[in-house]
Amino acid sequence: MSNTYTIPVGPLHVALEEPMYFQVDVKGEVVQSIEMFAGHSHRGMESLALERNFFQNIVLTERVCSLCSNNHPLTYCMALENIAQIQVPERGQYLRVIADEVKRIASHMFNVGIGLHVIGFNTLFMHAMEVRETMQDLKESIWGNRMDISANTIGGAKYDLDDELEAYLRKTLEELKKPVEEFKHMYATHPQVKARTKDVGILPPEAAIEYGLGGPVARGSGIDNDVRKETPYAAYDKLKFNVVLGEGCDVRSRALVRLGEIFESISLIEQCLDQMPKGPICCDPLPDIPAGQAVARSEAPRGELIYYMRTNGTMYPERLKWRVPTYVNWEGLRVMLDKAKVADIALIVNSIDPCLSCTER
Amino acid sequence: MLDMLSHSFHLLIFPGGLFALLLGLLLKGFDRKICARLQRRVGPPILQPFYDIIKLSQKETIIPDTANKAMFKFAPVFGFMGMMVAAMLIPVPGVWNGASGLGDMLMLLYLLPIPAIAFMLAGSASSSPYGAIGTSREMVLMFAYEIPLLVVLLTVALKAGGADGSEFSLAQVVAFQHENGSFGFNLSMLPAFIAFLCFIPGTMGVVPFDLPEAEPELLEGPLLEYSGPLLAMFNLMSALKLVVVMGLGVALFFPGTIPGGAVANLAWFIFKCFMLMLVSVTIVRTATGRLRTDQTFKFYLKYPSVLAYVSLGLTLLFK
Repeated sequence: MSNTYTIPVGPLHVALEEPMYFQVDVKGEVVQSIEMFAGHSHRGMESLALERNFFQNIVLTERVCSLCSNNHPLTYCMALENIAQIQVPERGQYLRVIADEVKRIASHMFNVGIGLHVIGFNTLFMHAMEVRETMQDLKESIWGNRMDISANTIGGAKYDLDDELEAYLRKTLEELKKPVEEFKHMYATHPQVKARTKDVGILPPEAAIEYGLGGPVARGSGIDNDVRKETPYAAYDKLKFNVVLGEGCDVRSRALVRLGEIFESISLIEQCLDQMPKGPICCDPLPDIPAGQAVARSEAPRGELIYYMRTNGTMYPERLKWRVPTYVNWEGLRVMLDKAKVADIALIVNSIDPCLSCTER
Repeated sequence: MLDMLSHSFHLLIFPGGLFALLLGLLLKGFDRKICARLQRRVGPPILQPFYDIIKLSQKETIIPDTANKAMFKFAPVFGFMGMMVAAMLIPVPGVWNGASGLGDMLMLLYLLPIPAIAFMLAGSASSSPYGAIGTSREMVLMFAYEIPLLVVLLTVALKAGGADGSEFSLAQVVAFQHENGSFGFNLSMLPAFIAFLCFIPGTMGVVPFDLPEAEPELLEGPLLEYSGPLLAMFNLMSALKLVVVMGLGVALFFPGTIPGGAVANLAWFIFKCFMLMLVSVTIVRTATGRLRTDQTFKFYLKYPSVLAYVSLGLTLLFK
């Protein structure tokens, strides 16, 4: 075939789960060029945020996205605390880290599982979901909900761990280690997974920097970039952890970075449980929120999440704006999808862990 | 006249037609259930394929405006008919030894690609870009898995021909094995049997070789635009194909019978088909992920073809 033809990938595509539309020009089975369209599910959330007071906005931001639903309210609260100079009690900071890392484990496991489903490896996909289910049960037991765990509030955390819950958390994490280790081993050694993911969707480190990518996508190309390490928030400055880096620059490398981060997350939660002091979990009473503006950053499972907020002294924000990791990461798809095979499109798109509900809010 | 009657019986009731349809759908049900249990899911009821057919046959058929309507409707019927004829040629050892005048391996070799051709027709007639990609993939896949099949059939024919010549009649192949032992237990035929096992997932279009349909990549490819009775027709076609391919495998490698008459042997045949499906379809698709087109092509040229040629060489050497 000499001329190219266009195939639509999305906006309703079985492998993409979310409404993202790629117009892909292919020649035979090779991608020639790609055009991306977004905006199919715009909800006007930035405008909605202006009609709600600060406390209502915690609930609103939690519903921006389901998989990083802890990072949105966390970063929102941090921005507000920056404006009002609120000091979060130490215990509250540790509790925030615990909620954050539990969500991260579940999110990473989900993404790696979907990647396996895309290459038709349904057995390992089921296995991944089963491992993730442990975290879902954990969330339901501690926070009472499987996705929106509502762990943050302005000035601290909304939940506390008693001895029984702490023991339960420790036990669950201990039980999680072996299945995750097994799963990582299977992912890393299965020849077929290797054949499908190695050297697919190459993202050179230079391109990652040029496009300003973040999160596991950049770390999979060896870019040492983790907000938790660079500008520690919550209790991350008191905890020891490694930034997991990959060298393959491909789909496989990004998945292995995510799997590696699960172990770091488990270790982080255990350190939190060891070091966490007794005391208040939340700043009480809260001071008045003055007029001002602030920016807060955090490391969501998909990369760097930034919140900008401006207040005017009332109970309502004057402007609330967030920049989500997927928004920067999907520009990297132009590099990764160049000269890719049609068979790999869904796999590569999945490897940036796209979250459209964050991006089109 | 009697010949006509018996042919009609074999085409419509046994071993083709009704029997093959029921067996094929039942095997598919078992395949889905066992695969689900291996993945620690509950899985659908065993009879789910029957329910699917009943449901689909009651639904409306939607044909895209841009499709070639005649070809769109013709493709599933063509595939179904081709498989009906093929199912008629499959011998059930101990019950019915195949139509002596018709049961020719060369004829099966021409009938077996019909479902693939039907998919190609469907894919190109549906005017969907996914269908077009599916069509081109199906073509590549067909070239890949037909080579080992051809060599396997040739090897069996030479082996069954005895000291001189070759034997292409399936009935004679079965009869030869009844006298001289099943080929499946013959060392020089072992590579050919493995090659045949590799051929099965390719022709059945299951993971790791389900390239033309590849749900997360091509959204079922050629089947994307199909709905209602026409889709049911495709489902029936693939159920028939399952029986044809498994029956062919049994006839080529394990046609042994057990004492106890026709009923016992019928159960024995069903059991062998089931075991063959378990090994070559269910477990394979549970334990693997999908390969890319280039990887699939390389795989078929590398392993099954070479294995089949090894068997052919051994057979010629020790003739």
